[in-house]
Amino acid sequence: MSRVVVCTWGTTGGAEELLTLARGTAAALDATLGWLVLGPAPHDLTEIASRQDVPIVDRIEDEKLQSFGGDVAIAAVAAYARQHDFRLMLVPQTFDARVLAPRVAARIDAGVVMNGVGVGMEGGVLAVTASAYGGDTRVVYALDAGRFVVGIVTSALTAAPAAKPASAVTRHCPVDLAGVEERVRVVARSEAAGPRIEEADILVAGGRGLGEKANYRLVQELAEALGGMAAASRPIVDEGWAEPARQVGLTGKITRPTLYIAAGISGASQHMVGCAAAKTLVAINRDPDAAIFKYARFGIVGDCLEILPALTRAVKG
Amino acid sequence: MALRIVVCAKEVLDPDAVNNYALEGRLVIGDDGRSLTQSSIPRLMNAYDEQAIEAALRIREAGVQCTITVVSVGEGQDILKHAASLGIDEPVAIQADSGTLDQHGIAKLLAAFVTSRGGADLVLCGRQASDDDQGVVPALLAEHLGVPAVTIARSVEATAAGGELGVRVVRVTPDGDETVTASAPVVVTISNELGQARYPTMAGRMAARKKKIASVTTAELGIAGEELRPRVTLAKQFVPTVKSSCEMIPGNAEEAARALIARLRAESVVR
Ligand SMILES: Cc1cc2nc3c(=O)[nH]c(=O)nc-3n(C[C@H](O)[C@H](O)[C@H](O)COP(=O)(O)OP(=O)(O)OC[C@H]3O[C@@H](n4cnc5c(N)ncnc54)[C@H](O)[C@@H]3O)c2cc1C
Repeated sequence: MSRVVVCTWGTTGGAEELLTLARGTAAALDATLGWLVLGPAPHDLTEIASRQDVPIVDRIEDEKLQSFGGDVAIAAVAAYARQHDFRLMLVPQTFDARVLAPRVAARIDAGVVMNGVGVGMEGGVLAVTASAYGGDTRVVYALDAGRFVVGIVTSALTAAPAAKPASAVTRHCPVDLAGVEERVRVVARSEAAGPRIEEADILVAGGRGLGEKANYRLVQELAEALGGMAAASRPIVDEGWAEPARQVGLTGKITRPTLYIAAGISGASQHMVGCAAAKTLVAINRDPDAAIFKYARFGIVGDCLEILPALTRAVKG
Repeated sequence: MALRIVVCAKEVLDPDAVNNYALEGRLVIGDDGRSLTQSSIPRLMNAYDEQAIEAALRIREAGVQCTITVVSVGEGQDILKHAASLGIDEPVAIQADSGTLDQHGIAKLLAAFVTSRGGADLVLCGRQASDDDQGVVPALLAEHLGVPAVTIARSVEATAAGGELGVRVVRVTPDGDETVTASAPVVVTISNELGQARYPTMAGRMAARKKKIASVTTAELGIAGEELRPRVTLAKQFVPTVKSSCEMIPGNAEEAARALIARLRAESVVR
């Protein structure tokens, strides 16, 4: 019987959402569901496995496993893949997974697709739907024969428990990593100070509609009044109005806040992939036809330079 | 000895033009169910690949003796002309129908090309292509060449400590910048944080006109058709629909702001 395996590392977000997706795929393929956990495991590993009806959790623990993307992690997953058969391996698409997935695929001669947003059967063939053109289009890739490693963007997925929970068995899968050394050496790291927008509950994002750098202050003031964080579209990061760590979107951060207020942002797909999963999205734009309103729950048509300070006053008052 | 740099470049549909169609709701998929139809969308070099060329040119300007080859799989003669006008040494087209290849096939051809030239010390690629956004070719290429890959670089410096060629790269990670080193040969992918790629000069354009674009076939690279059989095939492409359900808050700035905050408080979205 073939297998669908979810591969995660440590406490990478989205594991349970991905297991829910994988469970559906396994059922459609008449395959069994597996979960490979590399390195440290989440503290609630067994609870998640049982909720998601994962019969066997495979673990690879090795003191050399320091990251998900490095040579050691790639060697570990490739070694596992040589010992254990599967039809499909799904990885949550983190920064590191973008390197891990294709390199593992090359080593085990599997196909690879990134940016997956869904997996299913398409005309009787296993297929993955991935976003392209920064989200302007979706592409359906057929995964005919053989094995595949697929990166899935988990921010838009939801976790649902299985109809009947199972009691998972944990299997330790030793792999020999003695001869593997990291070929890329980290010589300096500048820790981004403070909290990260990916983890923020409330985000206020500014775009080119702010007009000039000095006006980014209005975004920061509203964010502060709401107890949230300031974020930005790419052009204003490129202009130096906001730091790169605040960029939301395809080449920035994928966020999932409760509230996302977008001010002076047009709603290009490349931006929206980073915030469309917000529970409540508010758009402020002076163009009533701006695409951002299509994604918004609430909209205000007007000048963000007036509306942002008015919102700050309303929150404080 | 000169540092051998190979830059991989892809021709894409202008993403800004695609965006504009999408924003206007006029993006259409053709009768084949697979490709975008708007013939007015210009084709140009993937912007990240342009920045990879920029990274190579900056290495040369830093005083490193090097040769810069730019290679593209497929029909993109215009992007290779553009590359030539920027002052690179050799533009090369690998003749293949890029439409029938998957990422594995592309990576295999690029690896075979690099090998056919006796190897490269530094292979530079854009972090991803702005059409399919896959970003897997550099990693596949690194594997085929058996060399490490350093991704998402904002700067690349060539080093020669103790006569050993290598790179020092600043990567843009979610946790902030990270400086790494690796020995050559190595694949490095370039991100937009590298900064604006230069425009060709008039003299560069003139010189490019005389420069011949070298061309190699898959047979010359020793790759048989079967090796290029795609594992992943594009079954269809579609434009996602967004179900709009936006409630417009009326009034002047003060009124709208107060009304919005009241709504968000009622729904416990804000305190
Ligand atoms: C490969 C690729 C990757 C990309 N990655 C990203 C990414 O990660 N993140 C990202 O954000 N973008 C990304 N982009 C860019 C993206 O396509 C858009 O160009 C960008 O998101 C637009 O930013 P913006 O909305 O701030 O600016 P614009 O598109 O210029 O929009 C400004 C908006 O402000 C409105 N406005 C103007 N003045 C006012 C005012 N006074 N009050 C209220 N509204 C006003 C205008 O009506 C307009 O809607 C990428 C593009 C490509 C090709």
